[in-house]
Amino acid sequence: MKSFLAKSQEVDHSWLLVDATDLVLGRMSARVASLLRGKHKPIFTPNVDTGDFVIIVNAHKVRVTADKMATKIRLTHSRYPGGQKAEPLGRAMEKNAAEAVRRVIKGMLPKNALGRKMALKLKIYAGDTHPHAAQQPVNITESFRQ
Amino acid sequence: MPRVKRGTMTHKRHKRILKDAAGYWGGRRRLFKTAKEAVIKAMDDAFRGRKQKKRDFRRLWIVRINAGCRLNAMTYNRFIDGLNKANIDINRKVLADLAIAEPAAFAELVAKSKAALA
Repeated sequence: MKSFLAKSQEVDHSWLLVDATDLVLGRMSARVASLLRGKHKPIFTPNVDTGDFVIIVNAHKVRVTADKMATKIRLTHSRYPGGQKAEPLGRAMEKNAAEAVRRVIKGMLPKNALGRKMALKLKIYAGDTHPHAAQQPVNITESFRQ
Repeated sequence: MPRVKRGTMTHKRHKRILKDAAGYWGGRRRLFKTAKEAVIKAMDDAFRGRKQKKRDFRRLWIVRINAGCRLNAMTYNRFIDGLNKANIDINRKVLADLAIAEPAAFAELVAKSKAALA
């Protein structure tokens, strides 16, 4: 017997909706990353994108524990001498909450071409509206609140 | 005694290696010396790969069984514990296949496992 291996053209990608209001950023992100990757499906195949599309709304209302908005700092370097910049999570959230959340989730996906492709299935909006009504996303926010 | 010239055996040896290196990139398929290195390394990798394949697949099966369990409100860890306690001896390859092809049968196994734990 050969083990089943999914084929990319045969995988169903459903659409899921998560309302990030008052969810803890890291815990939500870990779950979402797993959904994007497809690890919740028995047909999971590592070299095929078996994941679902995930829409996150109210990204700016996401919560972190303790004072991480001030103390969780992202370092970037321009590669010029003295070019290191530091940005606390709070400032990143103010500037562009959707992008800040996207970075967190992307960091939990595989660092390769397939991982980048999976990240494209992630749609994040700071507000509570999204333009994907036609895809009829299923709201799974409840399963995140426990 | 007939006179023996060298070259025939060398050619034969080179030919065998170069045949194994068919399809390699650049000098690795054309030059004997680099081809030989490449073939030795390739065989090393293949040997290791045959061992790793077994581990890789077991890991994949476990991920799939876990996904199937979570659809039935359970975790892999507790599912296996329950199966052991119920004396159900099905290997992970078959369990993973059941989770995909026969979700109903798999759900039944999860129920049995839960009963054994209760």
